[in-house]
Amino acid sequence: MYKLNAVDKHFPGVHALKSVDFEIGRGEIVGLVGENGAGKSTLMKVIYGAYQPDDGSITIDGTTVRFQNPRQAMNHGIGMVFQEQSLITNLTVMENIFLGFEHQFVSMGVINWSKMAEAARQQLGKVKLDIDPATVTAKLSFAQRQLVELAKVLTLEERVDGDLVILLDEPTSVLAEDEVKLLFKLVRDLTKRASFIFVSHRMDEVLELSDRVYVMKDGAIVDVVTKATADIDAIQHKMVGRDVDKEYYREQKQKDYSDEVLVSFDNVSLGTRYKDISFDLHRGEVLCLVGVEGSGREAILRTIYGLDKPDAGTVSIKGQPVTKFHARAGVENGIGYVPRERKIEGIVAGMNVYENMTLSQMQNYSKNGVLRISDEKLLAQKWIDRLGIKTPNVYKDCGGLSGGNQQKVVLAKWRSAGSDIILLDHPTRGLDIGAKEDVYDMVREMSDDGVGIVLVADTLEEAIGLAHTIIVVKDGVAQRAFDGFRDGKPSLFDLVHQMI
Amino acid sequence: MALSDTTSSLAGAPGSGIYREAIVKWAPLLVLLVLIAFFAIMEPRFLSVRNFARIGISSAPALMVAIGVTFIIIMGSIDLSMEGTVSVSAILFAFAFLALGGTLASWAWLAVPMALIAGGFIGFLNGLIHIKLKIPSFMASLAMGFVGTGFALLLTGGDRIRIEDELFRSLLTVRWLNFPIMCYVALLFVLIAWFIQSRTTLGRNFYAVGGGEELAHASGLNVNRVRLMGFMLAGIFYAVGALLAVGRIGIAETATGNNFMFVSITSVVVGGTALWGGIGGVWNTVVGVLIVNVINNGMVVIGLPGWLQDGVLGLLVIAAVVLSTDRKSVSFVK
Amino acid sequence: MSFIKAHIETLATSRRNFLLGSAAGLGATALPGFRPALADAHGPTMAWSYRNRSNPYWNAIASGGEAFVKSLGADPEELVHLINEGSSEKSLADVVALLAKTNGNLALAIDANDGPNGRPVVEAVAEAGGYVCTIWNKTADLHPWDFGDNYVAHASWSSVDPADKSARIVFDAMGGKGRVVGLGGIASNPPAIERQQGMMNALKDYPDIELLDYQPANWDTQKAAEVMGSFLTRFGDIDGVICASDTMAFGALEALRGEGLVGQTKVGGYDGTKQAVELILKGEMSTTVDTNPFWAGGALLSLAWHAAIGAFKPSEEPQEHREFFGPSIIISEADAADFKANYIDSTPEYDWTDFWGPTTPAL
Repeated sequence: MYKLNAVDKHFPGVHALKSVDFEIGRGEIVGLVGENGAGKSTLMKVIYGAYQPDDGSITIDGTTVRFQNPRQAMNHGIGMVFQEQSLITNLTVMENIFLGFEHQFVSMGVINWSKMAEAARQQLGKVKLDIDPATVTAKLSFAQRQLVELAKVLTLEERVDGDLVILLDEPTSVLAEDEVKLLFKLVRDLTKRASFIFVSHRMDEVLELSDRVYVMKDGAIVDVVTKATADIDAIQHKMVGRDVDKEYYREQKQKDYSDEVLVSFDNVSLGTRYKDISFDLHRGEVLCLVGVEGSGREAILRTIYGLDKPDAGTVSIKGQPVTKFHARAGVENGIGYVPRERKIEGIVAGMNVYENMTLSQMQNYSKNGVLRISDEKLLAQKWIDRLGIKTPNVYKDCGGLSGGNQQKVVLAKWRSAGSDIILLDHPTRGLDIGAKEDVYDMVREMSDDGVGIVLVADTLEEAIGLAHTIIVVKDGVAQRAFDGFRDGKPSLFDLVHQMI
Repeated sequence: MALSDTTSSLAGAPGSGIYREAIVKWAPLLVLLVLIAFFAIMEPRFLSVRNFARIGISSAPALMVAIGVTFIIIMGSIDLSMEGTVSVSAILFAFAFLALGGTLASWAWLAVPMALIAGGFIGFLNGLIHIKLKIPSFMASLAMGFVGTGFALLLTGGDRIRIEDELFRSLLTVRWLNFPIMCYVALLFVLIAWFIQSRTTLGRNFYAVGGGEELAHASGLNVNRVRLMGFMLAGIFYAVGALLAVGRIGIAETATGNNFMFVSITSVVVGGTALWGGIGGVWNTVVGVLIVNVINNGMVVIGLPGWLQDGVLGLLVIAAVVLSTDRKSVSFVK
Repeated sequence: MSFIKAHIETLATSRRNFLLGSAAGLGATALPGFRPALADAHGPTMAWSYRNRSNPYWNAIASGGEAFVKSLGADPEELVHLINEGSSEKSLADVVALLAKTNGNLALAIDANDGPNGRPVVEAVAEAGGYVCTIWNKTADLHPWDFGDNYVAHASWSSVDPADKSARIVFDAMGGKGRVVGLGGIASNPPAIERQQGMMNALKDYPDIELLDYQPANWDTQKAAEVMGSFLTRFGDIDGVICASDTMAFGALEALRGEGLVGQTKVGGYDGTKQAVELILKGEMSTTVDTNPFWAGGALLSLAWHAAIGAFKPSEEPQEHREFFGPSIIISEADAADFKANYIDSTPEYDWTDFWGPTTPAL
């Protein structure tokens, strides 16, 4: 019924979709799995019209279609239930359901609210949700909101001739177990109204619900399995299976770390985000936190940096228990932070190279509030040479540097300030291969210099390649720690198995 | 090209980027020169030293106020208290000046630092309200501006205070190289502001806070303290503007602050300082103030009818903003 | 004798004149030594309703009102001040409240804040049996004579004629010839229009004077300075500048001061402010026009009060005694000193029963 034929999509430096064939039949539930960055979200965006394929075609019942935007896709019956919910919480349920389509209830320029409520009740009936349509959305639970969202998409039924295809992006991530069961039952019941594409990290759920599962890796569909023949282990191998290039991650340069403990977590817990986390980060060690999005990795980073105070347990930095948690604690504790959102949190666009580098240590480059700019420039030049930062001069606006060079400036900022604990949050995200290799070199070099590094990696290969120690976190709980350097590197499969 | 970042590589080839950067940087000055050329062609008398001195006189007080608010805007905040602050500073100066002897040759010179302290204090209150009560800066400062205007009215009861001291009035009446002293005073403070902007940690911090508040936090900056200092500094510059305004017309009154909000904010924006913070600076504001005052002066000089002037000023300001700011660098315009 | 002196003498009267005038005009109610017993609650409550006192104009109005109360031998604090702060709603609400409190035994003078508010105020007072005088704000169809005795009178000021006369003073100071510019108020304000009209009228009699340009400077001192500077660039030598307010005259004057032209270029203002009078005395300005708010404050309250106690019957007065223009005093270099001595350094003593002496009939 709905088909993608050899769809290709390029982004600069990335071949995001490689000749993807995808098909879904009437009333079918199709699963889509893959690692972060495997191309799932790009594929979804192509399906619901947010991206246009560079090559290949989309056909519905044999007719070729081309969507310029999601609205056009919707008019062909393609609906999307978003992971980060798209309801406007200060509007009522019925206003949300008919957002953008209120005109059908307007007579003489006035909205007929009772008519809209009646129609909304009918939509909510499809998802078996018995609530007053005039309820303000903010008052609903997450599970209820998800159903409202589904009901909203199902309004396509009345608006569109032909069949519906509904994408569910990580629909279970906000649901409790029994809510998941209810949702699955509902989706199965709804297959008489629509087909579903179900995207999730949770392999067991995907297999439970789906008739067929597409496995993606590196922008390509590597396997299609049917429910009958599915095998979790086999799928996981397909998802991650690739020979890891030892050279790529500079593994031969990896050295043992010292015994000196820089950061110590002793049974640290914070609310629902993570529980009873314990580890030691040593001088020269690369410690990698592995887990799916929302597993608690980032929350642990924030606590190390001193932003969030844990509820229980002790955090020590170089033997001293940390008592103060506030915005500047990280800098005071000598911790450098290389954030995921480089453009927002990493560099100040509009400030030049040396201004960015000395931002966290201005007291060292000023006297009585007056800056010693010539010293700043010397420092910047030194680090430009040392890290090979490609910039015409020290006056260049950092906003105009390439991503890899921006990342080097951020690292130089912390290293020049003498930080010996560095937190890397997806340091290679959005970088091309050459720039990634530069980052790996820098990780090794820092490690040699005795810097302790906590890494949240972009891919599992990266984690395995770079880390001495890997801690797998799932739902805020440390599943297992691998001492990859001393005990031998874990396999991808070992990790994935713990993650999901 | 080692770009992989989607946004930056989509922005175009590096060559066009540099070209564009240069245009954005110099556009305000280009706009100013074009305006001057235009008015000079329409009326040759426009291009006389005496007229430039007149433009200098009308620009000097507004320039001080605009520079004050430039620091705030670079931080990504906004300060709308200038009218109240200027009025209060001017009136307190006038009261103190007359009470202490009424001439700069006596202890009355103390009224000058007192006015600056008063301006700084109002700015300090502004910042405190903004930071401690977590009220958006535009609201906090707008309210403080009204308080200031009200306080000024309370002080004067609606009266004007004349400052007739010849020594003080020499700001206007004595000329060096055809320009009155107030122009040189304004230039001195421009240089001070430039020094603060480019050579001090405070100036650097303004840009850091405006360029990325989270990052500034993460880099160990005390952002609230930077904010507070910014508002104080702005208040001091408003007070300098108040002193020049009093020097220019010899009168301190509640109305001394009138119209400074529109002129200063307009000038800052026309000069190419971005309202979302982080971009621009003192020299942009100098050019912006000159653009606004050249337009004002030029319209009368070429004999544009009075009823047309407000409309034309508005249109020219929009045109100048279009030409002199890099609107592509923001995803949306509030 | 300058006309100002004559004018002052007609206004500032001696005690003897007051007594004689009272005796003649008011008969039995104004016996020598008569002091109205306000405190015993039989006399009407007196009130002035206006914007606020921080404005010099309204401050003078209120002072005039207090001077009248004092002339009755009562404590000036007995005058009730109804402050509307620019709100018509508050203005009306205060009046209604005071009428209720005084049971209609009220002598009120009021600026109703805007024209449309005049009618409800007057109707409320008339219905309660009080007496009211209005200044400035009323609609054209609202007339005292339509309300019998209760709406005593309405006063406003025309700027056309005084602006004409003061412009002539500037033109004469220029020697009857030369180049002049004008600075007007906010173009849509009626006084701005009238004052420009007055100057244009005067100009007709001076064929050797050329009006170079007339531009609005929005009553603003700094704007006036900037526009004047631009005028100097455009026209070079300028012999005179006519400003529609003193505030703008100050700005023009300082622009001239920056060029060393003070005294050379003649400056005319309007509003009769203290500083303008002092500048005239110094020879830096040529003229300004005073509308004597102090007199207005006393005279209108006096009218309402005397009507309230029955000293005269408004409905028997001619229409020009019920709707009139208040007096304007044109001040020139010749009489600035007199004006300062009599109006600024001291307060003139008025015969508050000479209600209509200084007024001119409204058209």
